[in-house]
Amino acid sequence: MIDELRSVGERVIEKALGMGFDEAAALLHYREASMAKYANSEPSVIQGWRERSVNIYVAKDRRILFTGGSVQSLEDIIGMLEQLRKVAPKVSESMLYAPLPEPGEVKPLQGLVDSKVVDLVYDLSPASEALFEAANRERIDSFAGMFEAAHEYRVVMTSTGVDLAEEGTSIETYIRAFAGEGSGQWSLGSRSYNRENVERVAETAAHYAVLSRHQEDVEPGEYNIVLSPMVVGDLFNYIVRMASAASVLMGTSMFAGKKPGEKIASDAVTIYDDARETGLPGSRSFDDEGVPTRRNPVIERGVFKTLLHNTKTAAKMGAESTGNAGLLMPRAWNIVVEPGSYSFDELVEEAGNGFLVTNNWYTRLQNYVEGVFSTITRDAVLIIRDGEIAGAARKFRIADSFPRLLKNIAALGSEVHDIYWWEVRVPTRTPYILARGVKTSKHTG
Amino acid sequence: MTWDTEDLVLYAVEKGLELGASYVEARYHARRGSSLSTRNGAIIGLGSSFEEGVAVRVVYDGALGFSSTDIITREGLDNIISQAVSQARAHAELMKEKIEFSDERLGRASYKVVQKKSFDEFGHEEKARYLQDLWKTVSSSIKEARVAALVSVIGESVEEKILATSDGAFVKSYTPRVSFMYNVVVTLPSKGSVQKWLPYSAVGGYEWLDVWDPLGKLPEALKIYERILLEAKKPPLGEPVDVILGSEVVGLAVHESCGHPSEADRILGREAAQAGKSFIKPESLGQRIGSRYATVIDDPTIPGSNGFYLYDDEGVPARPRYLYKEGVINEFLHNRWTAHVFGVNSNAAARAMNFESEPIVRMSNTYMEPGDMEFEELLEDVKKGVYIKSYMEWNIDDERWSQRYGGLEAYLVEDGELKGLVRNPVLEVTTRKFYSSIDAVDKNLEFYAGTCGKGEPAQGVPVWFGGPNVRLRNIVLRVIGQ
Repeated sequence: MIDELRSVGERVIEKALGMGFDEAAALLHYREASMAKYANSEPSVIQGWRERSVNIYVAKDRRILFTGGSVQSLEDIIGMLEQLRKVAPKVSESMLYAPLPEPGEVKPLQGLVDSKVVDLVYDLSPASEALFEAANRERIDSFAGMFEAAHEYRVVMTSTGVDLAEEGTSIETYIRAFAGEGSGQWSLGSRSYNRENVERVAETAAHYAVLSRHQEDVEPGEYNIVLSPMVVGDLFNYIVRMASAASVLMGTSMFAGKKPGEKIASDAVTIYDDARETGLPGSRSFDDEGVPTRRNPVIERGVFKTLLHNTKTAAKMGAESTGNAGLLMPRAWNIVVEPGSYSFDELVEEAGNGFLVTNNWYTRLQNYVEGVFSTITRDAVLIIRDGEIAGAARKFRIADSFPRLLKNIAALGSEVHDIYWWEVRVPTRTPYILARGVKTSKHTG
Repeated sequence: MTWDTEDLVLYAVEKGLELGASYVEARYHARRGSSLSTRNGAIIGLGSSFEEGVAVRVVYDGALGFSSTDIITREGLDNIISQAVSQARAHAELMKEKIEFSDERLGRASYKVVQKKSFDEFGHEEKARYLQDLWKTVSSSIKEARVAALVSVIGESVEEKILATSDGAFVKSYTPRVSFMYNVVVTLPSKGSVQKWLPYSAVGGYEWLDVWDPLGKLPEALKIYERILLEAKKPPLGEPVDVILGSEVVGLAVHESCGHPSEADRILGREAAQAGKSFIKPESLGQRIGSRYATVIDDPTIPGSNGFYLYDDEGVPARPRYLYKEGVINEFLHNRWTAHVFGVNSNAAARAMNFESEPIVRMSNTYMEPGDMEFEELLEDVKKGVYIKSYMEWNIDDERWSQRYGGLEAYLVEDGELKGLVRNPVLEVTTRKFYSSIDAVDKNLEFYAGTCGKGEPAQGVPVWFGGPNVRLRNIVLRVIGQ
């Protein structure tokens, strides 16, 4: 398959240069994937995909142009390239133009392919059966969720001589369990399939559902809140996406105006974007420009360290690429939060009085530059009284700002969890985290 | 023999039946488009894309299988049909209730949306000039605050579909669409910043850009944002006041708290692990949720609308759906599976984003029915209140019961008159409180564009949402940051 993709890439680059473009890059994918979706404790649909796609970057006299689509439509796409070639002189130079990078020394990553996942692409039923069995170990009413297995090849070729290929497998699964008034949800993303880890997703969801079966109303205010890895994954996805230099340029970042070296979080906080963490599905040895990836500290011991760059934003902002291309805009690959030293029980004890929020959704910002957001809890919110779990609460919102939240992080758990689901699209490895004085809100009537 | 796309779609249906499926649906789905993006008047890039493929859905022994490919050949289709059938077969024994579809009078039709001003009449050079002019006008429109960033994008696309089902549907459609969006940040160092993101999108051609008129409207909006930074005061808190919501907020509210909870698949729990469940239960039809002014319609047939279609992606003819009618839960959004479960007919709500997506229950254009009052009449007998014209932050819980809107452009209302601006008022109420508190709606119906997210993998489909200006009585407001 890689040879097939490479031959498409060679053709595209040759065609583009033949048309008179100065530079060309082709990013090609082949993906086979299957997904079982569950609802009311039964499968609702089994989906499958086989697709080949090509994304093409071309430049002419510092004008940047893109096209792409299905490989099946290659002739149409080449036709679009010809149209772009005619249009190129009519649009002005791109503010983001920088020459495509020369080939770098890429250190291949090991362990990106698991043959068990390849098998699951063709028959998901072993994973479905494992989840069904594990979810029902506790006395729940029903569960919903999904399991996806994927096998992907990606190729990057450029007119500067980059010619790289990588193969990988991944799984994504999450289960939401319901019990009485309560519910619990948990997820997992990985390059490999381990039945015990998958079963633990269903067990954790069921556990939290049962714990929140009976709920009480609580008043909004400022509380110490233990954020579960599901919640940290959601909130830190927003924060790390805002660390993309593209977000700063577009006016959608709380890092606008911040300089590396500035203290922006408590000493306890260290967040990496780590493409080289092979346990997580975003891992890769080179980015979409062919630049070798690396582990980038976004925040280290509370200090803002770097934005995420490709060569274009790096040139624009006087930095160097961090291996996070996007052909046009940089993006995060895997978020890794450095764990602390607290056991789960110690975190709850440290919280004293407050809540454990196990899941949230619908995070939205009033103002990206100021990082002002609200998000609403879903699933178990457990009440912490005198350092112990003492019941479950009905939904409320966390309505605060990211800068304030980062400064109020007081303690981190020692055990990490790999989160990847519908609301957390950049795979995130994180422990439970305690934040103090978190502002909450609730409907007034 | 030469196989064209129509033949292949029909072949896929036959092949699925041969493999033992009780229902087969095949859809060729292509989307081509381009967009030009700028930041502060400088071009970022010009992009184009073309994606096409075929999706098949089968029911085999009561289990539902879906598969898609961009390899549009007999062999490519053979592969995905086999995969859809075999994966459905492998999961059939886990099924508790077998999947069945409702019987419908299905479409055999072809339709094409006609543009008044075609894509060719507004080329990339003109688009670039338009966006550069926009920056020049906008950046000089305010004096004390500064426009820190204006990102603007003009896009165009065409969606083509050919749908066939084993029970007789055959529908072809051609739908061009244009869009414009901006994100603007206005800053004044001593006062902070105001940010507004707004998308426009509609079916048709570049005649829509004249309607949206960003060159005329955006500079005026920026003057307001500057005034928010300079003048806006704290909104009244702690006591009930009257709240007038602008149609932008009303549109979002009806999309979130009427449209989504009325999706029958959500009511049945099919999206429980993703977009969530619904406060509406199967037995909720006929129950009161609001005042007599609360009539919410979802209508895919509005000409030019962003969510326009005449047949859904299961081949069912489209029609307006009265979801809430005079304050009563009246009708759910159905596809053929939910219609079968409820023992009714589908009302054509099945939509798929692209060839990689299964058709699921979706909204199209959701709006609150306007009345016959003038806006000034809404204000007239408000002693103390707030008019929230636009928003930025919003969210709603996964059962669509607790909703929140962070006001952006908002005014104090005293003794029937608009007074000064107020900053960051928050309407945070339950769905029942929202609809029950409405005591007047004006006649000024306006629509806003959005991309509605749902499904797994997540599908974003184009929608409009809208409404008139609406008055709510006795609301306790919150404010952001407190």
